[in-house]
Amino acid sequence: MNEEFSVVGKRIRQPDGPAKATGEAKFVGDLRMPGMLIAKVLRSPHAHARVAAIDTSRAEALPGVAAVLTPDDLEDWSGFDRGMKDMPLVAGGYRIPPEEQVVNRVARHYGDAVAAVAAVNEHIAEEALSLLEVEYEVLPFVLNAEEALRSGAPQVTEAAPGNIGKHLSYPYPEGDVDQALAEADLVVEGEFQTTKQDHCTQETAACLAYVDASGRLNVWSQCQLAHLARRELANIFNLPVHKVKIMTPFVGGSFGQRGALCAEPVAVALALKTNKPVKLVFSREDNFLGLESRTGFDNIHVRLGFKKDGTLTAIKTNMLGHLGGYMGCGPMASVIGMTLSMGHYRCPNRYGDADMVMTNIPVSGAMRGFGNDAMMFCIEQLVDEAAEKLGLDPIDIRLKNTKQPGETASMGLMLESSYLEDCMRAGAERFGWQELRSQPKETEGRIRRGCGMATMSHCTGAAPLYLEHSNAMVKFNEDGSVNLTVYPAPVGTHIWGALSQICAEELGIGVEDVSIVTGDTDITLFEYGSDASRSTYAIGGATLRAARKAKEQLLAHAAEMLEVPPDQLETRDRRVFSKADPNKSIDVGEVCYDAIYSFGGEATNFAGKQSFEPTWNSPTFGAYFAEVEVDTETGRVCVTRFVTAIDCGKAINPMAVEGQLEGGLQQGLGYALTENFLVNETTGKVETTNYDSYKVPGTLDMPHSEVIIVDKPDPKGPFGAKGVGEPGMVGIPPAIANAIYDAIGVRIHSLPMTPERILAALAEKDD
Amino acid sequence: MKTLANFVVNGEPYELAIEPNLLLIEVLRDELGLTGTKHSCGVGNCGACTVLVEGEPVLACLSLAMAARGKAITTIEGLAEGPTLHPLQEAFIEVGAIQCGYCTPGMILTAKALLDKKPDPTEEDVREALAGNICRCTGYVKIIEAVLAAAEAMRKGAAR
Repeated sequence: MNEEFSVVGKRIRQPDGPAKATGEAKFVGDLRMPGMLIAKVLRSPHAHARVAAIDTSRAEALPGVAAVLTPDDLEDWSGFDRGMKDMPLVAGGYRIPPEEQVVNRVARHYGDAVAAVAAVNEHIAEEALSLLEVEYEVLPFVLNAEEALRSGAPQVTEAAPGNIGKHLSYPYPEGDVDQALAEADLVVEGEFQTTKQDHCTQETAACLAYVDASGRLNVWSQCQLAHLARRELANIFNLPVHKVKIMTPFVGGSFGQRGALCAEPVAVALALKTNKPVKLVFSREDNFLGLESRTGFDNIHVRLGFKKDGTLTAIKTNMLGHLGGYMGCGPMASVIGMTLSMGHYRCPNRYGDADMVMTNIPVSGAMRGFGNDAMMFCIEQLVDEAAEKLGLDPIDIRLKNTKQPGETASMGLMLESSYLEDCMRAGAERFGWQELRSQPKETEGRIRRGCGMATMSHCTGAAPLYLEHSNAMVKFNEDGSVNLTVYPAPVGTHIWGALSQICAEELGIGVEDVSIVTGDTDITLFEYGSDASRSTYAIGGATLRAARKAKEQLLAHAAEMLEVPPDQLETRDRRVFSKADPNKSIDVGEVCYDAIYSFGGEATNFAGKQSFEPTWNSPTFGAYFAEVEVDTETGRVCVTRFVTAIDCGKAINPMAVEGQLEGGLQQGLGYALTENFLVNETTGKVETTNYDSYKVPGTLDMPHSEVIIVDKPDPKGPFGAKGVGEPGMVGIPPAIANAIYDAIGVRIHSLPMTPERILAALAEKDD
Repeated sequence: MKTLANFVVNGEPYELAIEPNLLLIEVLRDELGLTGTKHSCGVGNCGACTVLVEGEPVLACLSLAMAARGKAITTIEGLAEGPTLHPLQEAFIEVGAIQCGYCTPGMILTAKALLDKKPDPTEEDVREALAGNICRCTGYVKIIEAVLAAAEAMRKGAAR
């Protein structure tokens, strides 16, 4: 297969590598402008409180302070939905009330922004914050979803009576799930709990904003969805869209967190108020408190029905999630979770619903996996339980139920391609599954070993739930080199390289001949942005089609020069060849030069532009294998080895695909075992605000990791590619949970699977 | 009250009038414009701000600038010689060890300190040396691979 391609499938070096390796790469926090002010945000020390009054006089009197922003400044500005998702969705009438303000008169969670300052430097800005005297009227608060639903519970926001942010159901129900469960030979069920997880992007949120002399708002933003950010900022600050210009320099990680507005509203408000450039860089604590983190579920109740032979007949799920003080992106975590979790197994009876509940904790949102992670933690453990009860191998029960191409995929669309079976077989062989599982179990001794596996499917873009509109422009220069104008989020996914490869492959030129033009809403066409593992697929799809259009123009001109009909021409190695007579050829640059520097009224610049809005998505599939050691005295789990086998279609750059899966393992491992977003139950204070209290895995925590790429093309993706951004982490927690069960015979239904939970489960088993 | 202080950064001498409570990261980034040194956790937990002082890795977000007066400070901007990248920089690009790139300067400098002392490290040595540097993108696999590859390239270079 690889031989067919000259650029696609190659382990190319990334175009942004040298800038990042030398320190030349500029992130938002690195930018400076003359006269620039530094902003800081004042955050509520209460989980729920009304700002009765703010005395700003001492702060304003401090030399170097340019402005103080309080809820009294809001008159001219609109409230907003930080998730920016005011679009029709299949989930139905999905609109989020724009109740959040730039700074809030009612603080709805510990750390909610209530005021901000801008000063000539960071030290003075910090001192100014400490001089703000805020009088709070403390309000009763509620921290978890179950309590928030009780009658008489404190009301988090008037926009959600009874604290029900959203009640949502699975958009593609089938059959009669209750009847199927009643008729099943075996029903396995369980209640599970998942946790908030902080994205822990190494670069914290940051924004630089200024209003130029013409009155245009210039914003250097990290947003993954830059065009949506432009529209949303225009709405908030009552500006026409063309008066807002978003620019994206390099971004130090995102993982879904920058899919919402972060530092932008406060930075822009202060820039408008001071008429000076204002830079706001969040501290690590600001990040934990002020940004969205992974949506946690207080309860997920799952029931699966099986026939004796292991055939899955019913899936029923009920989710209870907490949204925090604003709705944000959190509600959709339930719909995505339900939709994708029912994606890889054939099952004629399916139903799910979810209550997404307002609580006085930091806001829930999208993080890599976006609900699928939570549902897979439940379903893949229950499938293992069913396998054991039915006397089947965990792989065999999954093979029996795996969907095939042509069947209905997760979002009601036809499944274009699936090589999940290949993933399971290749992964099992590399892992040594049969040998490891057939070894006799140790029942004595402190350290117990076990192995487990899990599978999953994940979306490649979220059509038809979300808009999937991407655009690309491909322009030939006079030497045959190309500028590709696109706007994926430059968050470190090697997407510039992948899009360059797609473009170069289609044009028959080298990847080094392609330069990316990006990071500016003025020069790029509309781009929904980078989320839902969509960039290679959707922006890549637009790129491929735009390149095709540019190539048509190139070949039409070359046809005249070579006196060969255009359909008899092809390009490779940066030359145009006659298919019939390869001796007849011309350099691509020569054709471009001839067209651009052409007198007589015929001059033209070959350029292709393509809008692309796929109404389908081709799910990616994966199989995950974990080997663990459990210390039965301390409860500590050590993952010693991990194998991930992935069907992400044709890998445009295998090195980049490996990088996504290896990185996903780090985040999945933390989510599974150590990353515990803690809120004090008595005070509502967030206790984990930096890496000393919130443990993300380091080099010494990582298992030996192997990645297998099945590398078979999907019929619809560009050169057969599917998405791979999120899948890397989705299957990790259930594979580890199943390995823990194999080691010590207890099932852990709560994330993270901490030593305390392991020891408690062991103690319960012994009783 | 500002004080005059002399620094040697990437071989260049600087004389600066600074407040004595400034952190090394503030002098490098704000006074000298060397923004390759990154701020991330601010409390010495993540290694993003690592620079070399007399060849030893130092967390610039925790160190007073005054403590580094007169000492040789190396930041990521000082590693390449003109257009020729340091073997670590080359290896990080070559094996795909850079994703978002935010931890990269700290990773490369921490690794340089290791390789300068121990030109032939084991994988375990590399894991130990980088234990204080957090990366949220790569899972460390290709970072460790890059350091081992750079070590080999540097040994070959030295043997020539």
